[in-house]
Amino acid sequence: MAAAVQDTSTPTFRDVDRSVLRVMEMPGPLYWVWVGFCFTLVGIAAALWIRQIYSGLGVTGLRQPVMWATYITDFVFWVGIAHSGTLISAILFLFRTRWRTAVYRAAETMTLFAVATAGLFPLIHLGRVWNAYWLLPYPNERFLQPNFRSPLVWDAFAVSTYLTISALFLFMGLIPDVANAREQATGWRKTFYSILALGWSGTDEQWRHYSMAYLLLAGLATPLVLSVHSVVSWDFAMAQLPGWHSTIFAPYFVAGAIFSGVAMVITLLVPMRKWLHIEDLLTPWHFDNLAKVVLLTSLIVSYSYATETFMTWYSGDKIEQMTFHMRYFGPWGWMFWVMVACNCVIPLLLFSPRIRVNLTALWIISIFVNIGMWFERFVIIAGSLAANFNPSQWALYRPSITELMITIGSFAWFLGLFSLFARFLPIVSMTELKEGITWLRKALRRDYPKAA
Amino acid sequence: MSGAVQIVGRFADEYACADCIEKLKSVRGAAVKVFSPIPSHHIEHAVGKPRSPVRAFVLTGGILGIVTAIALTVGTSWEWNLVVGGKPIVSWPPFIIIMFELMVLFGGISAVLSFLLNARVPAFEIETGYSSRFSEDRFGVAVRCDEAQSGQVESILNESGAEEIVREAA
Repeated sequence: MAAAVQDTSTPTFRDVDRSVLRVMEMPGPLYWVWVGFCFTLVGIAAALWIRQIYSGLGVTGLRQPVMWATYITDFVFWVGIAHSGTLISAILFLFRTRWRTAVYRAAETMTLFAVATAGLFPLIHLGRVWNAYWLLPYPNERFLQPNFRSPLVWDAFAVSTYLTISALFLFMGLIPDVANAREQATGWRKTFYSILALGWSGTDEQWRHYSMAYLLLAGLATPLVLSVHSVVSWDFAMAQLPGWHSTIFAPYFVAGAIFSGVAMVITLLVPMRKWLHIEDLLTPWHFDNLAKVVLLTSLIVSYSYATETFMTWYSGDKIEQMTFHMRYFGPWGWMFWVMVACNCVIPLLLFSPRIRVNLTALWIISIFVNIGMWFERFVIIAGSLAANFNPSQWALYRPSITELMITIGSFAWFLGLFSLFARFLPIVSMTELKEGITWLRKALRRDYPKAA
Repeated sequence: MSGAVQIVGRFADEYACADCIEKLKSVRGAAVKVFSPIPSHHIEHAVGKPRSPVRAFVLTGGILGIVTAIALTVGTSWEWNLVVGGKPIVSWPPFIIIMFELMVLFGGISAVLSFLLNARVPAFEIETGYSSRFSEDRFGVAVRCDEAQSGQVESILNESGAEEIVREAA
């Protein structure tokens, strides 16, 4: 940061506004083609889901014993993606980490849409989706209530809470920014931003309550983010199944979630930075820090893989050992090795500072991480079910075209929503960037009085 | 306040703005309202208001969440009190997870609701003295005072480096 502090051309508040609000100008036709393409894929996926609801789960590849596979993999993958947003927006906020300011809004937006995408999969996975409300406690004539001892009910509570808190956190952060956008906008946008800004005028009284509410929301979101993926991991770890029944699942899943989530932030931000021309806001310094988080979590995930393997060998449990033998060398062994290559080996390149600031290389590595983390969930979920206690039951699973298209549709849904947000709402927090400038000016005054 | 006026000073810098607020404390009976595009500790300290009561709302919301979760988990377990798998009817360890989640949920919702309540938003009318620049790049100090004190207020605003001073009917 020393280089930035020495830079006498510190941007002004106006420069920040100009850079961010420029992104929100009316997009060109290419943007609409992209959004249209995304939502066409969503439409195809929705049509296939309707067909599945009509015909039943027979249209999927789900067969005994593999009754959890692509859909649940997608669910865990998207919940995991969601985690980096809260890490960057809440945890790094509490630590007052300076580099988060330019990237946190994008990460938080990603969180909201990733949880919204993840939340669809338990519904898609249901054979009788119209009974989904059975997961919720409601008064009924037969006194039947959800089983609160079941991890699936914990999951329903955890994911719903996470979705609500993420949405509130994002909305709170947006208020001062949309008030600013309101002042510059005309026509329907002015009405839209005025409604979202809630009549905000930035008085000391408003800031006093706002700052406290935001701080406390960050404080509440921090343990929440750790709990949500722990609860998701317990969907598996609470079962008796070899390959699932493991005490390291909670920290292992949380590290994996942050790993994949930060990689997804990089995957989205690198092209976004170029297409929206926000190179002055998202600098290689930001990406360097994001890359360090990816590297650290990659090492934790690699350590977890090693621990899992060691414990399997050390336990002497023959059934567990067979499950892991199948995982490494069975018919789906290639997936395990793809996962190891993508999650453990390729991220080691990030030890090089030059690669961390080479955005093309970083983007490619982040895509490998995304692929690797999807395979990790598939290997754990479907792989463990396919090789269970009883060898006579062992069977391979192949995803059907319905499952594959719905998976592709989920990516399109996520990217489509993110693209809409990025063009119509401030994708970079103007307020926090301005606060950063104040800090920069102060640093200039202190360390470089002549330059200041 | 008979013959009251509102004088708004515009500042380029939060430090000058905070300095001005400190000086305005010498004007008896003047009501000071500050506008700023960013949350500023300097301004907050200069204004000297107590810490926001949002904390109490969040604490209450969190406790209410825990109590609701206890009522929900224990109540519904007793409603259909069939022992399954030898587990106790009231199984505290799994119920703690629901308590935690509802504590966060209720606490978070309380944070937002209490912010709306205390900050008096949504507001259908923007605060008097507000200028669009106060959402962009400038800090504003709006002082409501008697006509007789307006000269003193204006001189403090000038002394503190206000770029522009506007007088409005209060």
